[in-house]
Amino acid sequence: MLTFSLRGGIHPAYHKELASEHPIEPFPLPKRLEIPLSQHLGLPAAAVVSRGDEVSAGNVIAEAPKLISAHVHTPAAGKVRSVVQKPLPGGRMCDYVQVDVDEEATEAHEWRARSVDLAEVDAQWLARTSREAGIVGMGGATFPTDVKLSPPPTAKLDVFILNGAECEPYLTCDHRMMVEHTHEILQGIELAHTAFGFSRVIIGIEENKPDALEAFRRESARFPDMPLEVAPLETRYPQGAEKVLIESTTKRVVPAGKLPFEVGVVAANVQTMYALQQAAYLGKPLIERIVTVSGAGIATPKNLRVPVGTPVADLAEFCGGFSERTTKVVMGGPMTGIALPSLDYSVTKGSGGLLFLTQQDYPDESPCIKCGSCVDVCPMRLMPLKLAAFAKAGKFEEAKATNLADCFECGCCAWACPANIKILSWIKYAKNYVRVKGI
Amino acid sequence: MSNNEGFVLQAAPHAHGRASVPRIMHAVNISLLPVVVISVLYFGLHVLGLYAIGIVTCLATEALVKIARGRSWRTIFDGSAVVTALLFVMVLPPSISPLLVVIGSAAAIFFGKEVFGGIGHNVFNPALVGRAFIAAAYPVQITTWTAAREVFGFLPPSRTLSVVEAATGATPLAAARFEGTTEPLIRLFFGQTAGSIGATSVLFILAGGLALTAMGIVRWRMVLSFLGTVFVGTGIFWLIDSAAYASPIFHLLAGGVMFAAFYMITDMVTTPYTNTGTIIFGVGAGILTVVIRLFGGFPEGVMYAILLMNAVTPIINRMNNRVFGAEAAS
Repeated sequence: MLTFSLRGGIHPAYHKELASEHPIEPFPLPKRLEIPLSQHLGLPAAAVVSRGDEVSAGNVIAEAPKLISAHVHTPAAGKVRSVVQKPLPGGRMCDYVQVDVDEEATEAHEWRARSVDLAEVDAQWLARTSREAGIVGMGGATFPTDVKLSPPPTAKLDVFILNGAECEPYLTCDHRMMVEHTHEILQGIELAHTAFGFSRVIIGIEENKPDALEAFRRESARFPDMPLEVAPLETRYPQGAEKVLIESTTKRVVPAGKLPFEVGVVAANVQTMYALQQAAYLGKPLIERIVTVSGAGIATPKNLRVPVGTPVADLAEFCGGFSERTTKVVMGGPMTGIALPSLDYSVTKGSGGLLFLTQQDYPDESPCIKCGSCVDVCPMRLMPLKLAAFAKAGKFEEAKATNLADCFECGCCAWACPANIKILSWIKYAKNYVRVKGI
Repeated sequence: MSNNEGFVLQAAPHAHGRASVPRIMHAVNISLLPVVVISVLYFGLHVLGLYAIGIVTCLATEALVKIARGRSWRTIFDGSAVVTALLFVMVLPPSISPLLVVIGSAAAIFFGKEVFGGIGHNVFNPALVGRAFIAAAYPVQITTWTAAREVFGFLPPSRTLSVVEAATGATPLAAARFEGTTEPLIRLFFGQTAGSIGATSVLFILAGGLALTAMGIVRWRMVLSFLGTVFVGTGIFWLIDSAAYASPIFHLLAGGVMFAAFYMITDMVTTPYTNTGTIIFGVGAGILTVVIRLFGGFPEGVMYAILLMNAVTPIINRMNNRVFGAEAAS
């Protein structure tokens, strides 16, 4: 079987077996939700509820002010306790709407199936549906989907790629979705296909998920009108990075500094397409996602269907608690996720994983021996060791001239570095410096 | 269950591969064991003593410098000082006096590595700095060669050495350059000839060198571009006048070319890190080797070829790779 591969990249220890066989379980409604209003790339949404307001499941609680933002909905009925400022993972401050959940009212709410007239579906319909449902890219980047599906009129989108690579170690949420909700995901893709009339619809899945590949091969027969191709991808990180995936499946190269629509491609994550299907066929906004709780530090790893805004501490408790050996808690995958200082954070639209890691020693950096490993593994063919050295030396102009902006922060360089240099941290530092100081 | 505080707060990635500097250095040291064994068989047990003296001197020198600079001396066990010691001793003549091993090892670590700031910061290959130091200070001792013992009896007799006793003799390269006689190639392949302690035996160098190549520690582009250039360069002159110039195969097997290909030009710190840079370095070192060997006063020209290319490496490393999508953007 032909498989699609990338240049550079790494083979990290995957640890997917911890959770991959656990079917998705619904997470019981928490007593209180703490819903951040910035769960997406772009501007934070502005709260439209205040203390004491009654809300029901699926209500908009914060509106996107303008383009490149997304609405936020409450997953549960209840009463707004207050709107507070708290840090997001990573430290940026954000408004959170706290909702005291009314369990009965939430459970009484039903999302009723409705039919979709495909003749009505066009690009505007898609963008409107995505926007109203607050849909964002659920692979982690959380780019608002309505923006992604509204390319400039000059762009001709002819290829759709379902990003089912799920190349991050530990994470199995997309895997479980692809096995358990193949049909719904394809229905979501069908909506996009109806609007844009793609000439190719590529289902990209890493080879380490043969059951997901099989599920799509089987289910494809039910969508004869779509030019579906199920594409097994080589299991190699970062196969799921958008530009990397586009090149490996279509041989099209997204120009440096440009977006995929420039080469006629739109790629979307598995759960994003599921969310679109739910919005279209149930009128259900994006109010929950699948989270993989895993790692050697958690008692029972699980894949959970979790309401957005659920406190992370509740997930830990539901999975049997974490062990004394846990040294680090990561929201997201181990390659790109964010370490949390405590469990006082909430699940967001982009949180694919909650990992309890037990690594015991965290070695210091030693001097760079110029082995070139970081250069070899960089999928963007950057020179990470130079970028790190420039950042350390405060030479930000030089870093910028060495293609700093092209780094999409996959972390392969730091993973591969024998000297344990925190190359990606230095690169992010340089990027921030360049942005803030306007170099 | 511990409380919620006190988790390690660190930026991504939260996973790391198995690569580490000590792992790389230890792998190089282990890969050199076949050469260590054959060098002892060829030149006698005292060679083992020379290795030991080299290793102790290198470690001690590095520790002293670290202490003088107020740094932790425990990093000396990262394996890199041992690599320098082994490589330095291997490019010395077997009859070298232990005192010169001490002086050269100290010079290799001090002038070759620590004056630049230690591992990762040096410009020149430390082992070759040590050898250049000894070559300049003690030119006679470093060009006095001993013939290897007849370990492999099935090999054809030498054409350049008296094998009656462990005679003092010319190296195969010197014999070819100055006397016009060439050693049987199979003897060169086994290294049963006069030459440096560890650099003569192609067979045993390949054993470790190919293992390192398979592990990705040695860059195959570097090895091939260097060996290919030496082969083509010496081949051109051989085709022009095969009476005056030795064959390209001879040049690949004789002297330090094979040792340099796998163990000297592959030193990560002092050679380029991009694929293109690697090839430029290999070709450059190859051309210099050919020129020095065929026209210079030192038939063992590889050392200077490498040191010269080390000096050029920072400039080669200034080149940037063409990033993903750069062509499409222009």
